[in-house]
Amino acid sequence: MGQTPDVFVLGGFQTDFARNWTKERKHFAAMMREAVLGALSVTDVDPKDIEVAHVGNFAAELYCKQGHLGAFFVEVDPVFSGLPTSRHEAACASGSIAILAASAEIEAGRYGLACVVGIEQMKTVNATEGGDYLGTAAWYDLEAKGVEFPFPKLFGKLGDEYDKRYGLKDEHLAEISAINYANAKLNPNAQTRTWYMNKQHAMCRTDDNAAVGGRIRISDCSQVTDGAAAVLLASREYAKKYAERRNIPLESIPRIKGWGHHTARLCFADKVAESKGNKYVLPHVRATVTDALRRAGIADVKGIDAIETHDCFTTSEYMAIDHFGLTAPGESWKAVEEGVIALDGQCPINPSGGLIGAGHPVGATGVRQLFDAHRQVTGVAGDYQVEGAKNVATLNIGGSGTTSVSFVVGL
Amino acid sequence: MMSAAHAPRSDSRSTAPTGTPVRRIEHVVVLGANGTMGYGSGALFTSAVPKVTFLARTREKADQGLAAAIKAVRSPTVGERVTTGSYDDLERAIANADLVFEAVTEQLDLKREFFARIDRARRSDAIVATVTSGLSINQLAEGCSESFKKHFLGLHLFNPPNVIVGTELIAGMKTDPKLVDFVENFCVKKLGRVMIRTADTPGFAGNRVGFKVLNEAAQLAEEHGPLLIDRVVGPYTGRAMPPLATVDLVGWDIHRAIVDNIHAHAKDEVHATLKLPAYMEKLISAGTLGNKSGRGFFKTEGKKLFVLRPKQGDYVPASDVKLPNLSFIDEISELHRIGRYEQAMAAFLAAPGDEAALARKVVAGYISYAFHRVGEVTETITGIDLIMGFGFNWAPPSVLVDTFGIKQALALVEQAGLPVPKALVDASRGPIRKLFTHPTANVGKYFVAG
Repeated sequence: MGQTPDVFVLGGFQTDFARNWTKERKHFAAMMREAVLGALSVTDVDPKDIEVAHVGNFAAELYCKQGHLGAFFVEVDPVFSGLPTSRHEAACASGSIAILAASAEIEAGRYGLACVVGIEQMKTVNATEGGDYLGTAAWYDLEAKGVEFPFPKLFGKLGDEYDKRYGLKDEHLAEISAINYANAKLNPNAQTRTWYMNKQHAMCRTDDNAAVGGRIRISDCSQVTDGAAAVLLASREYAKKYAERRNIPLESIPRIKGWGHHTARLCFADKVAESKGNKYVLPHVRATVTDALRRAGIADVKGIDAIETHDCFTTSEYMAIDHFGLTAPGESWKAVEEGVIALDGQCPINPSGGLIGAGHPVGATGVRQLFDAHRQVTGVAGDYQVEGAKNVATLNIGGSGTTSVSFVVGL
Repeated sequence: MMSAAHAPRSDSRSTAPTGTPVRRIEHVVVLGANGTMGYGSGALFTSAVPKVTFLARTREKADQGLAAAIKAVRSPTVGERVTTGSYDDLERAIANADLVFEAVTEQLDLKREFFARIDRARRSDAIVATVTSGLSINQLAEGCSESFKKHFLGLHLFNPPNVIVGTELIAGMKTDPKLVDFVENFCVKKLGRVMIRTADTPGFAGNRVGFKVLNEAAQLAEEHGPLLIDRVVGPYTGRAMPPLATVDLVGWDIHRAIVDNIHAHAKDEVHATLKLPAYMEKLISAGTLGNKSGRGFFKTEGKKLFVLRPKQGDYVPASDVKLPNLSFIDEISELHRIGRYEQAMAAFLAAPGDEAALARKVVAGYISYAFHRVGEVTETITGIDLIMGFGFNWAPPSVLVDTFGIKQALALVEQAGLPVPKALVDASRGPIRKLFTHPTANVGKYFVAG
């Protein structure tokens, strides 16, 4: 097999995740339009250059009673009439699956420039109903039907499994929460940037920080978010022309250097049963990460300068720490205690604030992560910039560790 | 395995030349901590400052302020950083404070009394800030020591401070410029504020421009009725909340204090629009203060909405008020709904009928008034843009101009028979570019459908 052709990331745009589009009385068509036009404007790309579009979205049928989201891309601008588009769904990993599809087409030489949009409008319904919709990311009949807030409970069980195998302290989860909220304060697009949060609050065991699923409390949860993110992915040929036109070296444009993608069994209990005796609680997540690093030609996580991971709950980030190899399996707490994952640490996790701090518009998250990786390696992340970041990894997870996708973005 | 000790990438602490003490804010004392702005700001300070003292007339009142602060940000951890006391403790409480934050009742004499006490008891390098929403910073500091004046400034937070980030910073004539820079940086970096520097002019930038529009809406309500005004100058024109509903929320007494102050102390090209309508004056005397009094331009009984008849001073069911055909608003809202804001605002410019013309006049008045304040209140239009966007949640004037197109915006002002501001004419002569260039603000959010 020859060398895989490159996929370049020209740049992108994300909407302000603090916005409530239901309060603005808007359809997600407005959100998609703002994200796509924003990406075109920031990258200074002519809309006519886009050859294909991929939309990542989880559940617009439920939240907005509207399917066929690929077609909404065409509504953004008259020049998109006739453009090939499609929509991708893999629960919270929908955005990354859309990126994988677009990358594969570029690698295959079908198209030179793709736009990938991740989008979710979630504030159309109340928390209980929304929680029920999210239950369709699990095996609904078996794990979510009739359960109030099924997902905190499932990720509470992930914490329980860690506790059983290795021991787990609440204070480490509280520190993960506090870091994400603190980083979000530096991110002008983060949903929680004005919220009141600190580690003492995350440690509160009162109704001010109520339990929502086993050991999971409000401060351990990611947010219900309206938002979209768009990125432009290009072939080497297009990127070269783009670089020449802008008078910048091609080497200054980041590439997707590696990717990983695995799907585990749907039910959480089946995953745990499968991993019995394994050092890693979720071995398919581990394989996703190691695949991405290997394909990027990076020996191990020491070659990664920052990580944007899927902290739908603090337990998922706790899991990501050892699965990335920042510590030995079961020792994630060490990286928390030693400050490794802090913004000024050796390998900051979620400088953006992650899903807990920046927000989690489900279908948009994977695209937002890739866009944040791009911002980091091009040095434009502003107050949440990780100094000198050259290679940044993402990890996007759908369901209870079911579909996992990881990318390495670097120069 | 990565187990080496945590190695910071950079030292974020500022270093100063030897001998120069590094200024820090580690203890804040809030005066008027039982008031909305007092406890709201106090809660905000606890997010960045380890020690905050809440003072009020009595300790009980200060404790009530603390309870309200905890409730406002929904975190009992506020209490871990706050101590409370009464004004009897003022001298002792501020003796070692880095920042004294004054949020007592909006009365010049009362505030001055406190400043005299603070002046005598403060540490010589302590910062003193007032949250006044429009009293003159220079007047407030009159009679105080030179050291006080050097360390005194206006820090106008908007209510509720933990939600609204737009904040005005007003230096007095004697305020040390380095101190102003320091406070600005502290507010941006530690408190997440969007800071706007304004001149020491009545109502500063936000209230000057915002309450001009609100008061004009109140004036127009006399002839057209509140229901029609809030529809035609509604969210679709670039604001989260209709104008008269906003006045009801703010409180009629507060509205009066702000516009009276501007009307009395500022002379501008549209002075009459700042005159409080006589019917409001009369109704305020009779206890109509907006939502807090249960009635204003609107009141609800059960689920039924009633509307004030300004001339009569009584209320009629909203369902009995006959409104003219306002289908242009629905058409524009439908375009906002799908994110076609430029098309929507072009439809606004072209909409037929008296009501559309009335709406255009108010919007043109906002643009004209805001651009006329350039050079008087802020150095450039950007300051006014930021406070309208981040303080009022209204489309900043430049966002409206950008969305209309600058030539169209100029024509709009001219057609409304309003003075054309030089700042706008100057901008139209340059190369065509966006006037509003904030790197992260989503301008689409200001155009609310419906």
